[in-house]
Amino acid sequence: MAGRSFQAKLLYLLIGVLILLQTVTLAAIHFAGSHSLQRNLTLELRVGSRVFERILANRGRQLSDSVRVLAGDFGFREAIASRDRPTITSVLGNHGSRIDADAVFLVGLNGVVTADTVQKSLVGKKFPFPSLIATAEQMGEVSSIASLDGRPYQLVIVPVLAPRALAWVCMGFQIDENVLREFQRVTGLDISLSAGGDASRPLLISTLQPKLQPDLLRLFGRTRETADAEEISLKLGGAPYETLIERLRTGDRSRITTVIQRSLEEARRPYRTLELQIVVFSTLAVVLAIVVTMFFAQGVIRPLHRLAENAERIERGDYSAAVEIEQDDEIGQLATAFNRMRTGIAEREDQIIHQATHDGLTGLPNRTLFLDRLDHAIAAARRSGDSVGIIMMDLDRFKEINDTLGHQFGDQLLTEIGRRLTQSLRESDTVARLGGDEFGVSFNAREPDHAVDVARRIGASLDPAFILGGVSIDVDASMGIAIFPLHADDAGSLMKRADIAMYEAKKNHTAIALYEAGRDEHSVRRLSLLSELRQAIQRDELQLHYQPSIDMRTGRVAYAEALVRWNHPTHGRMNPDEFIPLAEQSGTIGALTKWVLRNATAECSEWMRRGMPLTVAVNLSVLDLFDSELPIYISGLLAEVGLPASNLVLEITESAIMRDPAHALKILRELKARGIRLSVDDFGTGYSSLAHLKRLPVDELKIDKSFVINLTSQSTDDAVIVRSTIELGHNMGLTVIAEGVETIESLDILKRLGCDMGQGYYMSPPLPADKFVRWIAESRWGIPTLKLEGV
Amino acid sequence: MRLGRFVFALTLLTSLAIPLSAASIVVEVRDPQGAPLPNAVVYAVPDGKEMAASSRLAVMDQKDKTFVPHVLPVQVGTAVKFPNSDDIQHQVYSFSPAKTFQLPLYKGTPANPIVFTTPGVVTLGCNIHDKMNGYIVILETPFFEKSEESGRVEIRSLQPGKYTVHVWHPDMAHEPPSQNVTVSESERLDLTFSVTAAPAALTSAPLNKLEDKFKKYGNGRP
Repeated sequence: MAGRSFQAKLLYLLIGVLILLQTVTLAAIHFAGSHSLQRNLTLELRVGSRVFERILANRGRQLSDSVRVLAGDFGFREAIASRDRPTITSVLGNHGSRIDADAVFLVGLNGVVTADTVQKSLVGKKFPFPSLIATAEQMGEVSSIASLDGRPYQLVIVPVLAPRALAWVCMGFQIDENVLREFQRVTGLDISLSAGGDASRPLLISTLQPKLQPDLLRLFGRTRETADAEEISLKLGGAPYETLIERLRTGDRSRITTVIQRSLEEARRPYRTLELQIVVFSTLAVVLAIVVTMFFAQGVIRPLHRLAENAERIERGDYSAAVEIEQDDEIGQLATAFNRMRTGIAEREDQIIHQATHDGLTGLPNRTLFLDRLDHAIAAARRSGDSVGIIMMDLDRFKEINDTLGHQFGDQLLTEIGRRLTQSLRESDTVARLGGDEFGVSFNAREPDHAVDVARRIGASLDPAFILGGVSIDVDASMGIAIFPLHADDAGSLMKRADIAMYEAKKNHTAIALYEAGRDEHSVRRLSLLSELRQAIQRDELQLHYQPSIDMRTGRVAYAEALVRWNHPTHGRMNPDEFIPLAEQSGTIGALTKWVLRNATAECSEWMRRGMPLTVAVNLSVLDLFDSELPIYISGLLAEVGLPASNLVLEITESAIMRDPAHALKILRELKARGIRLSVDDFGTGYSSLAHLKRLPVDELKIDKSFVINLTSQSTDDAVIVRSTIELGHNMGLTVIAEGVETIESLDILKRLGCDMGQGYYMSPPLPADKFVRWIAESRWGIPTLKLEGV
Repeated sequence: MRLGRFVFALTLLTSLAIPLSAASIVVEVRDPQGAPLPNAVVYAVPDGKEMAASSRLAVMDQKDKTFVPHVLPVQVGTAVKFPNSDDIQHQVYSFSPAKTFQLPLYKGTPANPIVFTTPGVVTLGCNIHDKMNGYIVILETPFFEKSEESGRVEIRSLQPGKYTVHVWHPDMAHEPPSQNVTVSESERLDLTFSVTAAPAALTSAPLNKLEDKFKKYGNGRP
């Protein structure tokens, strides 16, 4: 529709301009024509007037000559000389008719008519135009216009010579329509002559059509008293006539008026014809312009239309069809450019889509595309009843590789791994790089075993060492498998669960793990922490801090409690309260406890050798109590590091013992049997029954710090509890240790209450091993005799 | 045409024989401007006397397409010969009432002269030469004379007595008033007449333009 509008615009513009142009031309021609017509008419009428004069003069001269010849005729003269009036009258008639005279007079030299040919004879009367006779006497002859009987005549008077003048012969020639017609033939103008005639009915001789004559007479009647010459415009029969009215010069002063006229319509006819031709040509030009414009516009619009259609297709994302316009002009160029643009857009869109859905490094689909395809695969599987398996794969120690061999190497490795994965899988399977060193694979899995096979095949593809830039490297990966619909109902959940399985595999160093339905799911952070904690343990990235316990009696440090610290690379210093429950839940706690035991006993053994006879206290988790082999392990450890069993205290929380007292008791007894001291930690918070306590083979009680901190305040309840606990412990033969000693007052009170030992910030916060050694050397609670080596 | 009233006086003829005692009248003919007029015919008519008719012969010649003389005064009864001295023919005519006649085309001298018996003026023309005109003035008195270039006319040999003196001129508009005079023996009277010219168109033949042209070509190119 835009095309039609363009065509219409073009048409309107062109036609408008044409019509305007032609109207102006026509108007100009019209006005110029009218102007020139008016001028020409005026000129024409004046020329006509002179021509008429000339015609009359010529006629007069011719008539004079004729009359003179006639008057010289001997017979004529003889007849005139005869003095016989009938003879004379007949010779006048006879000779007059020879030259078509309308009236002939013979006038005596005395001015009296002697004979004539007119009906009402003037014989015996004075000749009516004496002035003409006088002129003839002067000039020898005369020719003039005069009115006779109300009609205009050309009169010629010559003498009859024999050879002396005998008389005057006067011949009259009527100025009739024939004369006027001759004028009309010569000039193309209409002419009318009005002689006096009767006053009531003026005579009119005219070349005008008879029906127009009354109009002229009527109009003429109004203007007859005007000046000698007047130029006016008259309407005759409704049509305008340019009119020149003049008085004719007459010999007898009679009033004869000539009216020379030109029909305006007739005069305009050539102009009208010209204008009509212009109108016709203009119309033809406009029609031609319309046709040409439409043809031209179609030539422009059709390709534009095709371009617009194609643009709409491109807008819809269809880049397949090219615009085919075989034209050599700008439109053709536009079409070519348009086609180039179309292919360019298509290529760029493909590129953008590829970039958006693929990993730039390996060229594999990215997480987005992977999820998308997984969605589709799940939807298809849901319809067909198939299964979809996914494998989440994470490289082991990739960070290490990156750090040691450089990112470029890491990138090459990832690319190579991507290639191997793709090669090891079927075409229909999807391999994606999900980010970092994490890859995802999705495939049609009929059963879990099949999925495991796929994982094994992947694992096998990674077995050969990667040789990149002269470096040979082995890469291990952990893979977690999850299967739709077995493990999850949607792509997101499926990936999460495969992730969990992957962490499981990593944790257990099993390389491949299948997600187990119902397994407690951890947050990704916890899973990752777990994995990292495991690494930290493996890589000795944990630290031990020590907090001293003071023997109230000696005032010297007796125990050092080993407390684990984890300086996480990204999360900073981790609170044990955060990662230990995680370790307990994931089963890593066993490894952690063993790490702490090994390091603490080794340290303590070192201190002993350096003259610091301390007992090291290590906290056990509730899960440790389920490890039946723990006592054996500890025995082996003590032997290994060379620390007497009596120098190790294992602290067990009240709640831990309460969870499975029977089993705990069994382990504790075994430990006790091996000479290891046991301590109940956080005593007072677990509501443990005294009966239980009595049965436990423990040596010490540690009063929870929540009681001790408030010891100096007004709250007497805590003091009572502390005192009661001390008394109870003593009564049961246990050593009582107070935690949370933060002021000297607390220390004094505890001392007064008979508490055996105290631990808290008042003495020292937990310190790293080296600082702890320094503290021992320098503190008043330390060992004065200790000599530090290399400090 | 009052000339027709001239009275013929026979008595005057007898007194012609006694010249010594005769009286004369000298007439000056002038135009109103005072210029002398030739070709004027002055004649004196004796009162109360009848004159006898003449039987004399006069000649009106035609030379070079003109009548010679231009004006020929004769007494009544005079026969006039019309010889043709040109080598072309002429056709002499007169439509005048005093004598109407025609001499068909001729050369030489016609055998019979024409006798003019009626007083008056005969205007002569040639039918084939419009310009030719001449006048024969037929008078009833023998006392006439034609003026020459000087305009002077002397009428001699007049018997003493009363006379009426008339003047006629071909170009006059009208005849000037006649003068009555009485002459004594051997007396000489001086008279003056003023003659007003008539319009040329009435008195002279029109110029034949065509013939003019022939003339011109005949005399060589202008």
